[in-house]
Amino acid sequence: MSDADIIQRIQQDLGGRAIEVTNPDRRRIFVKVNPAELLSAVTLLRDKYDCRYLATISGLDKGETFEILYHFASPAANINVRTEVPRASPHVESITPVIPGAVLYERELQDMFGLVIDHIPDPRPLVVPDDWPAGNYPLRKDWKYERPEEIIPGGKS
Amino acid sequence: MLEKLARWSRIKSPWILHLNSGACNACDIEVIAALTPRFDIERFGVLLKATPRHADVIIATGPVTRQTRDRIIRIYDQVPDPKFVIAVGACAMSGCVYRGAYNIMGGIDQVIPVNVYVPGCPARPDAILDAAVKLLGKL
Repeated sequence: MSDADIIQRIQQDLGGRAIEVTNPDRRRIFVKVNPAELLSAVTLLRDKYDCRYLATISGLDKGETFEILYHFASPAANINVRTEVPRASPHVESITPVIPGAVLYERELQDMFGLVIDHIPDPRPLVVPDDWPAGNYPLRKDWKYERPEEIIPGGKS
Repeated sequence: MLEKLARWSRIKSPWILHLNSGACNACDIEVIAALTPRFDIERFGVLLKATPRHADVIIATGPVTRQTRDRIIRIYDQVPDPKFVIAVGACAMSGCVYRGAYNIMGGIDQVIPVNVYVPGCPARPDAILDAAVKLLGKL
């Protein structure tokens, strides 16, 4: 099955849910969906296109919006499901009912981007330290890190 | 007399604690290599101990992360006096490539006093040996 066939089939199956299906490279397919229809789109891709293996979820700070990319490795092609949420209310539905292993990536997204994953089974912080101040999201572009002043043993020379 | 004996025993058996506070494991492998018969740091009486309460020297590798900072201080406090710290590798000296990352405090000297610095990424086992011998020479 060629990439063009897969794109055609995905467009047929997803119907109006797929905003855009593109093929930026050989055996790589970008499927853009609305955040509201994410869960149903992922369910369909898992059942019909064998997207059982979620390689990772990555986040992207695009200024006004956050883009979330779900990287699925299926035998046919690498299928990336992309969705965009506004910065003002960064809510996105959890895909753990379909892919239980996604919980770790979603927790990391919460720590790093401050996204709110709705209906996540376990919302505890994953990667940030225990004493991390709330409201600091290191991977946001507008986040500034103030390094604690360094102690130089023996003083500066 | 007793002081002389204490000093002698300190020089003859500096037991070490291997402390990794977020290193990439390269320095840790070199520390372990220094303990093997090929480099044989044990000929100076150095023994690897599993608990800080038995150790005299902390061999610290890796930068200090925010998560491990308090734990390093706790481990340092558990080591009986007199205690010494050898910072192994560029990360333990200054933070190296991790310097400036959001959860890195810097080198190990930001948290506990350090006696000997061993540069290298990772440091050679010979260099670690040299550091141990130099530390013993200072006693």
